[in-house]
Amino acid sequence: MTTTEHFRIGIDVGGTFTDLVFAGNRGSLFTRKVPTTPDNYGRGITAGIGQLMAMRDIAPARISAVIHATTVATNTILEGRGAKAGLVTTQGFRDVLEFRRLRIPEMYTLTFKRPEPLVPRNLRLELGERLGADGRVIAPLDFDEVDALAAQLTEAGVESVAVCLINSYANKAHEIAVAERLTERMPEGTFVTYSADLLPEIREYERTSTTVINAYLGPVLKRYFGSLVTELKGIGIHAPVQVMKSDGGVMSVAQAALKPAYIVESGPSAGVIGAADLARTSDLPDLITLDMGGTTAKAAMVEGGQVSKTSDYEVGAGINLSSRLQMGGGHALKLPVIDISEIGAGGGSIVDFDGAGVLTVGPKSAGAAPGPVAYDAGGEDPTLTDAMIQLGYINPDYLVGGELKLNKPKAQAVLKAKVADRVGKPMDQTCHGIFQVAAGTMVRAVKAVSTYRGRDPRDFTLFAMGGNGPVLATEIATTLEMKRVIVPLNPGVFSAYGLLRTPIQHELTQSFIGIVGDEDNDGMDRVFAALEQRLLDLMAEEGCNPDTVKIARFADLRYLGQAHELTVPVDPTASGLTDRAQMREAFSAEHEATYGHRTDAAPVQSVNLRVIGTVALDDDVAIDLKSALAAPTEKGRTRLVHFGDHGAHETPILQRSDLNGTPRKGPMIVEEYDTTCVVPPDWAATLDPFGNIILTAEETV
Amino acid sequence: MTTGTDPITAQVIRNALSSISDEMALVIMRTAHSAIVRDSMDYSTGLCDRQGRVIAHGMTMALHLGSFPDAMQRLVSKTQGDTKPGDVFIFNDPYVAGGMHLPDVYIVKPMFVAGELEGYACTLVHQTDMGGLAPGSTAVYAKEIYQEGLRIPILKLYDQGTPNETLFEMIALNNRLPEMVSGDMRSQIAAVTNADRAFVRLLEKYGSATFRAFVEEMHDRSEAMMREEIARIPDGEYSFTDYVDGLGEDPEEIVLQLTVRVMGDEMEIDWTGTSGEVKGAINCPIPFTKAAGYMAIKCVLDSDIPNFEGFTRPIRTIAPEGCIVNPRPPAACAARALMGWRMLDTLFGALGRILPDNTPAAGEGGVTFPVIAGRHQGRAFVCTETLAGAGGALSWRDGEHGIPNPGGNGTNQPVEMIEAQFPVLITRYGLVQNSGGPGKYRGAPAFVREYRLLADEAGLIMRSDRRRHLPYGVDGGSPGTPSYNIINPGPDQQILPVMPMLQVPIRSGDIFCHISAGGAGNGDPLERDPELVAQDVFLDIVTADYAADVYGVVLTAEGRPDAAATQAKRAEIAAARAGQTGPDTTYLSHYLAPLNLANPVIEEERLFHCSAIAAE
Repeated sequence: MTTTEHFRIGIDVGGTFTDLVFAGNRGSLFTRKVPTTPDNYGRGITAGIGQLMAMRDIAPARISAVIHATTVATNTILEGRGAKAGLVTTQGFRDVLEFRRLRIPEMYTLTFKRPEPLVPRNLRLELGERLGADGRVIAPLDFDEVDALAAQLTEAGVESVAVCLINSYANKAHEIAVAERLTERMPEGTFVTYSADLLPEIREYERTSTTVINAYLGPVLKRYFGSLVTELKGIGIHAPVQVMKSDGGVMSVAQAALKPAYIVESGPSAGVIGAADLARTSDLPDLITLDMGGTTAKAAMVEGGQVSKTSDYEVGAGINLSSRLQMGGGHALKLPVIDISEIGAGGGSIVDFDGAGVLTVGPKSAGAAPGPVAYDAGGEDPTLTDAMIQLGYINPDYLVGGELKLNKPKAQAVLKAKVADRVGKPMDQTCHGIFQVAAGTMVRAVKAVSTYRGRDPRDFTLFAMGGNGPVLATEIATTLEMKRVIVPLNPGVFSAYGLLRTPIQHELTQSFIGIVGDEDNDGMDRVFAALEQRLLDLMAEEGCNPDTVKIARFADLRYLGQAHELTVPVDPTASGLTDRAQMREAFSAEHEATYGHRTDAAPVQSVNLRVIGTVALDDDVAIDLKSALAAPTEKGRTRLVHFGDHGAHETPILQRSDLNGTPRKGPMIVEEYDTTCVVPPDWAATLDPFGNIILTAEETV
Repeated sequence: MTTGTDPITAQVIRNALSSISDEMALVIMRTAHSAIVRDSMDYSTGLCDRQGRVIAHGMTMALHLGSFPDAMQRLVSKTQGDTKPGDVFIFNDPYVAGGMHLPDVYIVKPMFVAGELEGYACTLVHQTDMGGLAPGSTAVYAKEIYQEGLRIPILKLYDQGTPNETLFEMIALNNRLPEMVSGDMRSQIAAVTNADRAFVRLLEKYGSATFRAFVEEMHDRSEAMMREEIARIPDGEYSFTDYVDGLGEDPEEIVLQLTVRVMGDEMEIDWTGTSGEVKGAINCPIPFTKAAGYMAIKCVLDSDIPNFEGFTRPIRTIAPEGCIVNPRPPAACAARALMGWRMLDTLFGALGRILPDNTPAAGEGGVTFPVIAGRHQGRAFVCTETLAGAGGALSWRDGEHGIPNPGGNGTNQPVEMIEAQFPVLITRYGLVQNSGGPGKYRGAPAFVREYRLLADEAGLIMRSDRRRHLPYGVDGGSPGTPSYNIINPGPDQQILPVMPMLQVPIRSGDIFCHISAGGAGNGDPLERDPELVAQDVFLDIVTADYAADVYGVVLTAEGRPDAAATQAKRAEIAAARAGQTGPDTTYLSHYLAPLNLANPVIEEERLFHCSAIAAE
């Protein structure tokens, strides 16, 4: 029977490891971690796939789809390795890209350096055209000027051109004409992209920056995907290859090569999408995900089974706290991304003291090299991982499932000399303090996606993934008074699994400035209709059957005069027209949920209209848990583990399959291939029918 | 370090306090109705302890750092014993309530845990209008505070949870944009309410006793850290003088005279010698004067002293009563921000002598504040802009453009947003060629922002500076270039004063052009790396002529520096300098001629008055 099983492959390329997950249409689930090969990512990927296919005796023809998440786009920007790109804009505005929105992410500094623009000033050229805010032509486009610019850009040797004209969100005719003319006049293969195609939204800096990012990435990503597809064909895989977008949908490699700006946050999105899928199937619709690895912790919110998205985003700024207060360190990218807040705290975070003598954990990290002291690879700075080893949370002898031997005595000596002696407390209390401070820092990431948006974390379940997420999860949950934690199957490679739980989804937007309820409602219906048609065309190009596409409408609304919009769903009336009363009410309700008040008398203004088309997954197959889990083998292994106020306990060490549907009271440690789940004495663990560990806090009396 | 709260609990509480004040800032940003809050971010949030001392400050406007201490002291002493759960206070008056200027409206909520007062959630929002003689309530030409709008002493906006409807109605009736003002006040109320909830949860967890002990320790630690920093600076007096051009058509210069005295681990900021108060709205009440001092010191000391008010204890501000930075009622003060910017420049000038590597030459001189207001299609409009972004050079790097003035971390407003809301067309927003002060490291270029009026008519209210008294250079770097306000640029252009003492009428089709001051240079321009000069020519920042005349850098046909020709040209400039009495203004003619502007008609030595740091 296995001979007929077909597989979809999820590939998550990270900085150190490439995670692979094979999911069969009969419930088989195979995973593998292989080293990432930055010189040619395709080589590492095909090597890993080849190994798994050989181990499981799977012929290439049985691979039905490949879905890929990649950090190549982000890294291209961070490392400044993008294409030589030009920008064509309206007369008087070549410096918009460099002025940005001015604001910087630090206070009390006289030495801040703004990020270098991705297109230098000499390649930012102006055209004498001009449109008004209503889209009317104030100064016409002169093709001779365009031709002159084409010659100039060709002469300069640019590989790609971004076109972004003032007020093009209201009328894209000039941009289309310019883009077509440039394509005609410039050397074949020049990558030309225009803003109204990518993001027809008001705010010139954000739109320009987004378009420039697309131009900067275009040629690089085109080469990358080209080589990946070739490598896969080299091992006989001809299945369609799809790429995860920053908003959690997928697009074909062909589309991704044209619109790489959509895949900048491809990597971190997959895990959240997987969590959302699990939320829908396991009746835990409201989750906060916590993905913690070696250097950062990332949090995101899933509400009612839906991921929460934002377009207040920038790339290249390093850490993103999902907070507009700290914007300005990178390049604005105003395409929908899953709203992920990131904090510089992970296992490798260094323990230190600030000027006021207060203990800090991170954001400085020992990274993968030299790594924590216990790795014995030259690290001299005590890290969170070292403290977690002392506490007994992490196996003190070797990294679980890995070849790496740990040096606990060395870590202990460093922690004592550099931290415990200064704090003036015994080792176990000091280490638990470090652990609490780290958890407190991560709490900020969780709050950034919940309380900062008016959501109460107590209404959510914490979803822990990544190598270290399940170690800290209960501590974070306790701080936020969250009663339940879920640790999914394969938490260490969960992102790659998430790729396979992704519906095909596309989103298009168009600015539409108007008061909801004014006579312009008719215009709104027209814009929605046009957007939907474009969406269906686009998805048809990707091979979707239009009958299977489910379309939802949204509007970005605000009270007249506010700067920030809230996105709310728009339900058409029976006659298919926009229901204005429903829009106003949905907005006011969302405003109240988010900010605690509503102003029913104030006019509601629409800024952008959005349509999202979704094709649901058609292969909902239960995972064959027997093959996914090892047989229960409880051997009575224990070790001494410190739980802070709950004291030290000789604690049983289990594996996942030792748990079952009956709650088992802590303390216990569940060790797996590449993660450890810590269950303190006041928590209990069960295994649900899908293989997830569910942790529940004991009701305090 | 004092003993008491362990470093771990301290970190957890501190994290929580800053997260609460940032959260307040986010609530206001997302829910405010006015452009000045949402885009310029002219507002602040903070938390105070039960004695009204600041213990956290949201990431908003740095210059507001000192906006809470004086106000909170007045509030605490006025309301002692008469504060109950559910109360919310409101005030704005700079003279009786310790406020800033009338548009800055404070809304403050006392926070109670188990019936005990434990702290205050504080917000301050620059409201778009508070009445008075001009839209926006910041007319430079007000003569006394009675002309500037509604004065609110410390009053209860909510009394044990019950709204004071009388006060709400009074405020609504006394401003031009009641919906917007009430919307922004609501966002403040939402922010303090949110903060209260989170603060109470925090104290319930750690207990009042632990919290109060932690607060005292942090005040003491901040003080100790500040003392340590000051003690590192050699004792002595460090003086500096800077200027504001003055008011109206025929401005009289305003002198800012500063002496910073370092005595052991204490510091005095002494403004004695500064000009007296003026009959215009740029007088600066003392709370803002103190704030400028604290902020400047925090910027240059480059350390992570926590934002606990204890750090202000070793710093004393002296400003004789009746001088422009400590005016007496009823001096008008709505446009006092200008003095804030210039006090910062003066402070950095003095502190630069102590810490030259941390302190840049002068930048554009703060936010230019144009207001275009009128009626269009039957509706009132007030288009308020805050323009900034041309930094001075450091001793090791060029001045930055495209970042805000360090005093106020505001944003610019999107051109498209303005055009979608107001009857104006913005025709230019970009760098100005050959602008900024030359130097081994040059100042940031000036920027231009140009508006065409689409309404039939409107009034223009303007607050700018730095035309006659240029941003000062450092170590032989040239001063920055002058700012201009021009109506209808071209041969028949009309030049407006930096601060016109009236609303300037403009008509449909008129163009209003603001050119900012350019940042000043640092070090001798003849020592600038020719490669950097070639790069500036390549990027159209300066012309090849300018490179040769100002920097002595001669480029080849390919745009590369010609070493031999450059050496000769530099020798020639150096020789010409030796024979010259006044300062070299070649760079100004390059800049001004294309703008149809003559070199400023002013005494030469005074033009360069502020650039004298190098000589002293």
